[in-house]
Amino acid sequence: MTVKTEAALRPRPALPAGHIAFWGGAALLCLALVAGFRVLDNEYAWFAGYFILQYVLLATAWNILGGYAGYVNFGAAGFLAVGAYTTVALRKAFGLDLLPCIAAAACIGGLLGLGTGWLALRLKGVYFAIATLSLAVLLHTIVVNWSFVGGSRGAYVLRPASIPPFVSYGEYLFVVMLVLAVIGVGIARGIEGSRLGMGLAALRDDERAAEAAGVPTLRLKLVATTLSGALMAVAGAPLSHYTGYLNPEAAFGLAFSVNAIAMPLIGGAGTWFGPVIGAVLLASLQQAATVTISSAANLMIVGVVLVIFAAAAPRGIVGLIRGGRHR
Amino acid sequence: MTKITRRSLGQLTAATGLAAASGIRPAAAQAPSGPPLRIGYSMSLSGGLAGNGRPALATHRIWADDVNARGGLLGRPVELVHYDDQSNGAQVPGIYTKLIDVDKVDLVVSGYATAIIAPAMPIVMQRGMTIVTLLGTGVNHEFRYDRHFNICPVGSQVKETFAKGFFDIAMAMDPKPRTIAIAALDSDFPQRTAESARFLARQHGLRVVYDRSYPPGTVDFSPIMRSIQAARPDLVYIGSYPPDSVGLLRSASELRMSARMFGGAMIGPQISALKAQLGPILNNLVTWDVYAPEPTMQFPGVESLLRRYREVAAREQTDALGLYVPPLAYSQMQVLEQAVKRVGRIDQAALAADMHANAFDTVIGPLTFDALGEWTEERNLYVQYQGVTDGNLERFARPGTQVILYPPRYKSGELRGPYGASAT
Repeated sequence: MTVKTEAALRPRPALPAGHIAFWGGAALLCLALVAGFRVLDNEYAWFAGYFILQYVLLATAWNILGGYAGYVNFGAAGFLAVGAYTTVALRKAFGLDLLPCIAAAACIGGLLGLGTGWLALRLKGVYFAIATLSLAVLLHTIVVNWSFVGGSRGAYVLRPASIPPFVSYGEYLFVVMLVLAVIGVGIARGIEGSRLGMGLAALRDDERAAEAAGVPTLRLKLVATTLSGALMAVAGAPLSHYTGYLNPEAAFGLAFSVNAIAMPLIGGAGTWFGPVIGAVLLASLQQAATVTISSAANLMIVGVVLVIFAAAAPRGIVGLIRGGRHR
Repeated sequence: MTKITRRSLGQLTAATGLAAASGIRPAAAQAPSGPPLRIGYSMSLSGGLAGNGRPALATHRIWADDVNARGGLLGRPVELVHYDDQSNGAQVPGIYTKLIDVDKVDLVVSGYATAIIAPAMPIVMQRGMTIVTLLGTGVNHEFRYDRHFNICPVGSQVKETFAKGFFDIAMAMDPKPRTIAIAALDSDFPQRTAESARFLARQHGLRVVYDRSYPPGTVDFSPIMRSIQAARPDLVYIGSYPPDSVGLLRSASELRMSARMFGGAMIGPQISALKAQLGPILNNLVTWDVYAPEPTMQFPGVESLLRRYREVAAREQTDALGLYVPPLAYSQMQVLEQAVKRVGRIDQAALAADMHANAFDTVIGPLTFDALGEWTEERNLYVQYQGVTDGNLERFARPGTQVILYPPRYKSGELRGPYGASAT
């Protein structure tokens, strides 16, 4: 077992005080954000905020499997689209509101994650990554041929103008995504400090050694794929309400898969805070570039930042900070 | 009174000559003044839709220059505020809220195609703004927004009218065709066109001998063409996007496929680069279009627009001929301009009422809108490529190469058949 894993297995101070500080801090931050945006009185702030928060949740979800367990998922867009299309299907079939649809998306995404884990986790390394990529292609094909959710034509979601007590629907979507992101980050943080997180770290470093040491690797991986799949689907569940129209090209967009990987790597994979930093940084940069540079150049941002970080800070921003502190 | 001396007369003559040489129109109107009148929109300048988004933006700039040279709108200079949506609908809501709330634009229009128009609609509806959209398909059938106006020749009754031209031309042949093959890409627009073809085939009593969809990303089209060839249809109707159109036409050429009429709703030959690439393979293809440089479609202003667009296109490396999106994109802005001028102020409700009530003179002819904001009278063109010997684009800019067969009021030539090896 490597030194790193030993360090990871050492019990961490997961004191209730730490949890209280986290949840209290998160609640204060949420209130401050909502109050600040209300003062701004600008619809754009809600929409740009939603855009960034959806990536915070997506990157956090990816990190649970990719960062903690070391299993790279190239099919994040597939899981996100499952959430988005769950909402479309349930809304069309039963006229459900967004919140029950999000809960349903979590269940369906979780089941899909479990199934994927069951089928694909016997594969390792690049073979697992390719299997997840294939899963996204398979899901895309299913959606394109499923006329009930619009098929290749796409589906329209007619949302209300506002939902009291929120000023606008944009604010409502922002608050929903803010709460979901905080819950997602809270789950990731909980995993990191728990026996589950330590087990995942052990199997990331050396799966055989972990198994030999009594870590139930398959069970842990299944928990990780289920949680990761559920959170990715939750990140996608409100997408159709955000855009008002969803087609397979938008739901399965390459940008989701690329960002889901790039953001944790830039922020620092394997830590709960890394994906948050990476997502806020990269998504803000992308959003800013969209309304400033506004040309094909903004597509290069992810690539350039990723190359810089891969060369200069392979353990991301969190790694840089920790490295600096240890020096 | 100012005395005109020989020197001042000389200066005036020189200035007039310079203005003429630089293409500046006579300054009939006063120079625009005051705060700019801002028109905001999202446009696909990168990603899959950029091939048509970039020509649309270049055309909008030409229109803005024209309007400002004429004294602006309501006496104010026009300013275009646009952001690249990367062909991604998820970017669009953020862009429109930025345009309306931060940039405080006075008017909005849309970028190119349904995938970009639809995500803008909830934002625009929430603010009660009037929007003129570009080449959407059936967007307002869902939203039913009375301030939406679409620049698209397809009209409201897509199923009943889209393929009508193709079938009218086919059924006029002697002897009448009896069988048809239909192939369409699994995507929104091609599927709508195939639905229209199926409907009209039934109406005309044609037997459908092949009817299949193919998925996006298909690269080998020979199995489709071989199956169609084996069914020996009189007519072949295809709904496709540019990459598939090239694959299908090349495959048809390689397999020496022949049919009495071949074409349909193939998006691709409208684009200059593909015209040049396909060359003689296009001969006798009968396909849907929006504009062709035929004598029957020389509406006021269109020739001048295309001349100026081609100068810009050469600089900006966009679609060289500009026969597809530019005339429509210019008309999109003309509709807005004429409504604003008639209303005389920026009042979204009054603008929408004006657009519903009045006709518009545009570079693609006179336009009126129905209750859903679609063209009252659909104007799907069916053109046939004739006499193409190579990929020289100059040939396509001249009349006689894309002969209009439908609708009858714009007809500029006669059908040639069959399509296939003998035609090239």
